[in-house]
Amino acid sequence: MVKRKVRLSEILLNSSVFLSTALSALALGLIFFYVIREGTTLLNWELFTGNYHARNYIAELQDNQSQSYNMPDFSTSENVYPVDRFGIALEEDVDLAGNGVVRVYYVHPDSPFNQMISKEVGTEVVDLDVGMIFQRISYVDHPTSLSRGGAQKFATELNDPQREVYELFFSDLGGGIQGSIITTIYLIFMTIIIAVPFGVLTAIYFNEFAPSNWITKTMRSFIETLTGVPSIIYGLLGITVFVPLTVRFTPAVNSNLIAGALTLSVIILPTIIRTTEESLRVVPDDHRAASLALGANKTQTTFKVVLPQASPGIITATFLGIGRVIGESAALIFVLGAAIKDTVNIYEPSTSLAVHIWSMMTDEPANIALSSTIAILILAIVLVINVTVKIGVKLLTRKGM
Amino acid sequence: MEKVIETQELSLNYGDFNALANVNLPIYRNKVTALIGPSGCGKSTFLRCLNRMNDLIDNVKVEGIIRFNGEPVQGVGVDVIELRKKVGMVFQKPNPFPMSIFDNVAYGPRQQGVKNKDKLKEIVEKALKQAALYGEVKDRMNESATRLSGGQQQRLCIARALAMEPEVLLMDEPTSALDPMATQRIEELIEELKKDYTIVIVTHSMQQAARISDNTAFFLLGEIIEFGLTSEIFANPRDKRTEDYITGRFG
Amino acid sequence: MKGTRTSLSQIDTIIGSLLMILALVASSFIVIIAAFITIRGILPFITDNSGLGSVNVLQFLTNTVWLRGTTFLSTAYGAGFIIINTLYIAFLTVLLSFPIGVLTALFIAKVAPRPIAATMRTIIELLASIPSIVFGLVGVGLFLPVIYNIARAMGYSSGGGSSVIATVFVLSLMSIPTITAVAEVSIRQVDESLEQASLALGASPTQTRFKITLLAAKSGIFSGAILAVGRSLGEATAVALVSGNARSGPSFGLFETTATITSTLLQGLKETNGIDYDIRFSLGILLMVVILTTNLALNFIKRKVGNVHG
Repeated sequence: MVKRKVRLSEILLNSSVFLSTALSALALGLIFFYVIREGTTLLNWELFTGNYHARNYIAELQDNQSQSYNMPDFSTSENVYPVDRFGIALEEDVDLAGNGVVRVYYVHPDSPFNQMISKEVGTEVVDLDVGMIFQRISYVDHPTSLSRGGAQKFATELNDPQREVYELFFSDLGGGIQGSIITTIYLIFMTIIIAVPFGVLTAIYFNEFAPSNWITKTMRSFIETLTGVPSIIYGLLGITVFVPLTVRFTPAVNSNLIAGALTLSVIILPTIIRTTEESLRVVPDDHRAASLALGANKTQTTFKVVLPQASPGIITATFLGIGRVIGESAALIFVLGAAIKDTVNIYEPSTSLAVHIWSMMTDEPANIALSSTIAILILAIVLVINVTVKIGVKLLTRKGM
Repeated sequence: MEKVIETQELSLNYGDFNALANVNLPIYRNKVTALIGPSGCGKSTFLRCLNRMNDLIDNVKVEGIIRFNGEPVQGVGVDVIELRKKVGMVFQKPNPFPMSIFDNVAYGPRQQGVKNKDKLKEIVEKALKQAALYGEVKDRMNESATRLSGGQQQRLCIARALAMEPEVLLMDEPTSALDPMATQRIEELIEELKKDYTIVIVTHSMQQAARISDNTAFFLLGEIIEFGLTSEIFANPRDKRTEDYITGRFG
Repeated sequence: MKGTRTSLSQIDTIIGSLLMILALVASSFIVIIAAFITIRGILPFITDNSGLGSVNVLQFLTNTVWLRGTTFLSTAYGAGFIIINTLYIAFLTVLLSFPIGVLTALFIAKVAPRPIAATMRTIIELLASIPSIVFGLVGVGLFLPVIYNIARAMGYSSGGGSSVIATVFVLSLMSIPTITAVAEVSIRQVDESLEQASLALGASPTQTRFKITLLAAKSGIFSGAILAVGRSLGEATAVALVSGNARSGPSFGLFETTATITSTLLQGLKETNGIDYDIRFSLGILLMVVILTTNLALNFIKRKVGNVHG
């Protein structure tokens, strides 16, 4: 009887272990599943190159005469409707938010749509480009064509020789993340340029030059403490220290990407120092002794003999840093705000990919589809970095042995 | 003399490495059997076969027969846990669990489902008394076992094994990590324990084997070179290699 | 020859000093952070905030409404409920993620065959490397609708699912990998002879894992939990997305909206000057103090618990 009881408790304990493991694995599965399910529909090249804010154009035609153009055959393409009268073709499509739109599929080189007069202030010539979206076209003495009616109706009405085009209203696609991609690249680049040399040299100091006394110990523990500081606190550091500093010493007048990169540098500094130090520590002392015995000084020994052997560690540290920059949100929201920009300038604020998600998630209504698409991108990069770091660590340990 | 354990043609391989070859050895009831031999000769491996602790290592292949009270020990149908309850073990280094003294000794019975407090107390006291530790710890049963001295820790580990009321006690160099005084106490204890238990002890010390054991088996390269009464083996070994070893010419 | 030697060692001295300056700068950041936040954060309490009057420290620490009314008042800010919410949520998070994390570690270190253990370890590493904004996104898209529906079915109203329980779920997902990674290392470091002694006493492998392995690894396991608590206390964006950002409290009900120190910090973003700007730094001080005291308290408990049978 006693024995039976023991068995039951064992089954319970064992299943708790399996259940917990399943839950942990499920957590990752759920995240990937959800993000991929929501985000893949919008995954295309235009997303990466397009602007987030759609630009609107109002224009009129210079020449309203019908002509006939030598157009390619569109009959095989689905949902494409040619407008022979003006030498363009329209396509029924969906935008990045999933709404139906009338999209420009083809523009003939001689089409009057190539040289339209903008009706905005300061007259200029505007072109209709493939990929742009028609909002509406109004005609003299005829009802206006609206994109809501679908591309086919839109094309038929435009092709009607009775109708004289009065005004065209069209726009870029919008919803692209080109600006945030560039911002992220700028931030990675600047942060690595600042933090890696800084961190590596500091690690060299601690491992090769520093005397072992209480001052060194205190300095080390101060740096170690940085790892426990939440990133939002670094945001406060950014707005009180780095934003005023950069405003003072650069052309920037407000918060800017340099201040963001400086903040990120402090965030990744402890990781860079620790990882570099670990790789310096595995360099055998024999190599140092051999170099010193040949009459080299400590500086030469460190930079010519020790540092090259530590390079896998430094590369690993760099990748860890890049991963952190890509994922960081709270600190950057504080320093740079959450306004999405299409034109990026290091002296001005803009959003990284992570902050782009934050910006859209705090919008009403939240754009979950596009957020998930960006999340796929972030997760893919993080995955690559993870693999790279693993390989780096393997190289590092092999060197150590 | 009654055989508690008996092995026939016992061989053991770790992967390609042959650790034991054709070992035939009887273990007699209420006797102390010492296993001696140089490091790596297979004596500890042999000991660990007797309660199937080798099961924990990957890639181990055991051939031959081990009988405990006439029943085979190897095989799928054998309840390893029942076996280990009857064949207790004391390890080289004292390894008390990070618990109180009481909980250490009560650990085994508790795992078998003994919950009654008075019953547990009775078992613990009896085991500690048998291990000659009760007097030293009776007022500090709830203190951490890791605070005891090395020798006390080892006697606690013996008490922990005794609490299961085993028939056989396997001891794997139980005094190698202890100072001479503590070693002496453990040896006295073994002398005392053999009245109630059958003891198999692996030892590196010839003197120890000579002092405490009734029978001795000399292992070399996984084989038994010689087995017999301790007094005879030490007085006039039949094999040249045994003589070389016990007179300190190698090992 | 002698001349070269001197100049070479002079270079060493110069380089050494330059490197030391860098190291000093690196180690001074924590001091700079503490100093600037403290100086900024005590302004609302010691100045009259351009005529609004100074904020009463005690009221700030005990009041239960953040930003009362629409007019700016020095009494508008009370963070008492926020502190309680923050600690309550961290507590629930540990309660949920600790057993799951530790048992997963036990599985990886002791139960699973090698290839499965390696796969599981990779899964945990990946989970740890996912940025918090992605956890926030999945929390909003996946958890909130489910929680909203469950709450409605049970007759509770919840702000679109934003709630204590949503926050705890998201934070638990983020804490599990931390707990598992640290626990796995300390479980693997447990002296094998302890486990063998337990097996030799007739305990089953399962009993050994739960009674001996986990017990012997408890100090390391506890360290993992402390790290996880620190992370949940400091996590901002994911929490702000799913907490509902309540302006009063405390909220103990699982379906109530809530607010933590970090989520409140992210709310006042649009303010650029005066008390409404400075008060964020006061919250910053509060966050640092809460994290520091929690850490000290947990480490104290760890030492106490560790001492009994350590």
